[in-house]
Amino acid sequence: MNNPYLPYPVRIAEIRVETEDKNLRTFKFEFLNPEDEEKFAYLPGQFAELSVPGQGEIPIGIASSPSEKGFVLFTVNRVGQVSSYMHNMKAGDVMGIRGPLGHPYPLDKLKGRNIVIIAGGFAVTTLRSTITYLLQPKVRPDFGKITFIYGARSPGLLLYKDEWMAWEKRDDIDVFVTIDREVPNWGYKVGFVPAVTKEVCPPPENTSALICGPPVMIKFTQPVLEEAGYQHENIIMSLENRMKCGLGICGRCNVGPEYVCKDGPVFTLAQLNRLPKEY
Amino acid sequence: MSEYIVKENALVDFFKSLASGRRLLTPQGLGDKCKLEETPPDKVNLDFSNTHMSPKSLLFPQTEALMAFHNDASKPQAFVYQSLGDKGEPLAVFGIRPCDAKGLSIANKVFQNDRFTDNYWKGKIDQAVLVGLACDNPSPQCFCAAMGGSPFGEAGLDVLAFRQGKDLGLKPLTPKGEELVKASGAQTANLADAIKGLEAEAVKSQGVPPDYKGIDNADLMALFNDPHWLATAENCLNCGVCTFFCPTCHCFDIQDETSEKGGVRMRNWDTCMSWLFTVHGTGHNPRPSKTERVRQRFMHKLKYIPLKQDGVRGCTGCGRCVAMCPVNIDIRSVALKMTQTAASQA
Ligand SMILES: Cc1cc2nc3c(=O)[nH]c(=O)nc-3n(C[C@H](O)[C@H](O)[C@H](O)COP(=O)(O)OP(=O)(O)OC[C@H]3O[C@@H](n4cnc5c(N)ncnc54)[C@H](O)[C@@H]3O)c2cc1C
Ligand code: SF4
Ligand code: SF4
Ligand code: FES
Repeated sequence: MNNPYLPYPVRIAEIRVETEDKNLRTFKFEFLNPEDEEKFAYLPGQFAELSVPGQGEIPIGIASSPSEKGFVLFTVNRVGQVSSYMHNMKAGDVMGIRGPLGHPYPLDKLKGRNIVIIAGGFAVTTLRSTITYLLQPKVRPDFGKITFIYGARSPGLLLYKDEWMAWEKRDDIDVFVTIDREVPNWGYKVGFVPAVTKEVCPPPENTSALICGPPVMIKFTQPVLEEAGYQHENIIMSLENRMKCGLGICGRCNVGPEYVCKDGPVFTLAQLNRLPKEY
Repeated sequence: MSEYIVKENALVDFFKSLASGRRLLTPQGLGDKCKLEETPPDKVNLDFSNTHMSPKSLLFPQTEALMAFHNDASKPQAFVYQSLGDKGEPLAVFGIRPCDAKGLSIANKVFQNDRFTDNYWKGKIDQAVLVGLACDNPSPQCFCAAMGGSPFGEAGLDVLAFRQGKDLGLKPLTPKGEELVKASGAQTANLADAIKGLEAEAVKSQGVPPDYKGIDNADLMALFNDPHWLATAENCLNCGVCTFFCPTCHCFDIQDETSEKGGVRMRNWDTCMSWLFTVHGTGHNPRPSKTERVRQRFMHKLKYIPLKQDGVRGCTGCGRCVAMCPVNIDIRSVALKMTQTAASQA
């Protein structure tokens, strides 16, 4: 019988330190058994349980895009037991990943629409997956204008620098990267994400917003989008709750009758308005 | 499917047939010692109230090893978790009460949900045949009818057994149950009317059930936001005893245990009454105080589960949490408060 608790064995192929405070590292995994890569077929917005034998499991959003073959990427913040342990692991170590879990962003339903992607801090992970996916030559024509707004406290805390700098040079995506306060030689925007959103976000007609970030960013960005005329059905967010099983069984991650792991983590604001704010 | 009857003098043979090729478990012992135990066919006892604990641990042990790994890099598969198997075995369980069988059927929809199947649960339930014993004389602590059940309820059972004088009536409910009953040599008998009569009497003994239907129709957020939760939760100690005894509570934790040679991944019963249950690694806790946690337990039982399971309540009225709670929190009083909230919103 298929065992949804059993992780696929993977090898750490590479670890990249993402931020100057070294609290975020991106792990590149390769499957020990190549056939597992096919079984791990995922879409942007889904997550996986990273399993460290003897330490435990943590739910982490998938940062790579299904269009990137031969590996999967996850960016892990150093927080507690498992994530700190992972920060001390090295390339070549064997661990496990279990998934994909949760529902992806509803990109299939957004075809033909403009998309504005708003990210704050390290919550940008699954949005990196989304943008990489959308910019594939075969996929890009299915969507309208794509706008990416991304903020962090300081330049050293921005993830995926090589990637957003490359996106910036393209003409099929508008990129606005911002930091909280001016620093010398910073050639991009300055100011909080909500303010930048107010300035650059596209009109709401035929547009959906994907938004991920710390609670304060969401709290102040939501009114900006509302004021601009965005309907709650067209504001799409991803929730985090403490998790264990990731399967809707262990009962831990519920928000009202919905399990964030199985029924989310992606919800529209319209859906969240009808649910308790227990996240 | 028709009904069947086992005459008093054929009961031991009936239980022998249940035990053939399977372990036979039945309630043994009295009071808080009453529990499901392997039973010789001539020692089955029909005079018990209910087991002290719910039967959920048969399918969902309080602690269960899921998988293991070794750390010897000179051998293959170092640091790769291998499943320890689902440990199911052929079981015949006789004497489950209808409230508890219904509890298992509610948990079953969680363990085998719309997206995932828990193989450890499925491996056990698929090999078990569950024969319930109807309550012709419900215990004073029970309130199954108030929760939409019945002392003769059928949910979750393969066979419903009931006492017909000194004989045992049998109503098969699933193909698995039908096969078991046929193989036992029980005689067919038309007992549909007899069941109706016995059921009506048993229901009557619980008095007129309170009407909680208002909760079903009420707005979720109105029930959630009602101020009564502060007072409702005031005495709660967050001890978790209620969740431990409940046949429908299914929450668990997953923990790794290590030794010199490797480790094991365990799952253990957990409780939503605990602060640790929901706290994020950052320290943020979506249910920071007991008020939110008590609200979660009752909203889950009386609103969230019905929304997800076609109106079936997540409380089956077994009465264990009411009997065991050290500060006498009673789900019936809470259901009544929620019904009042619903009425005031309507
Ligand atoms: C859908 C989803 C996607 C996520 N994506 C990312 C990501 O891309 N990058 C990232 O750095 N973090 C992400 N997180 C948060 C990350 O899961 C926690 O920081 C992590 O679990 C902390 O584990 P720990 O063992 O280091 O901390 P501890 O505090 O020691 O936690 C112990 C255990 O509790 C659980 N737990 C604790 N906090 C959380 C939490 N916030 N969410 C879920 N489970 C938790 C885990 O099972 C964890 O092993 C995500 C969380 C969710 C739910
Ligand atoms: S048994 Fe009573 S005191 Fe203990 S957690 Fe449950 S409701 Fe609270
Ligand atoms: S909530 Fe209480 S009465 Fe209801 S099924 Fe659970 S333990 Fe029994
Ligand atoms: S993590 Fe177990 S139910 Fe969501």
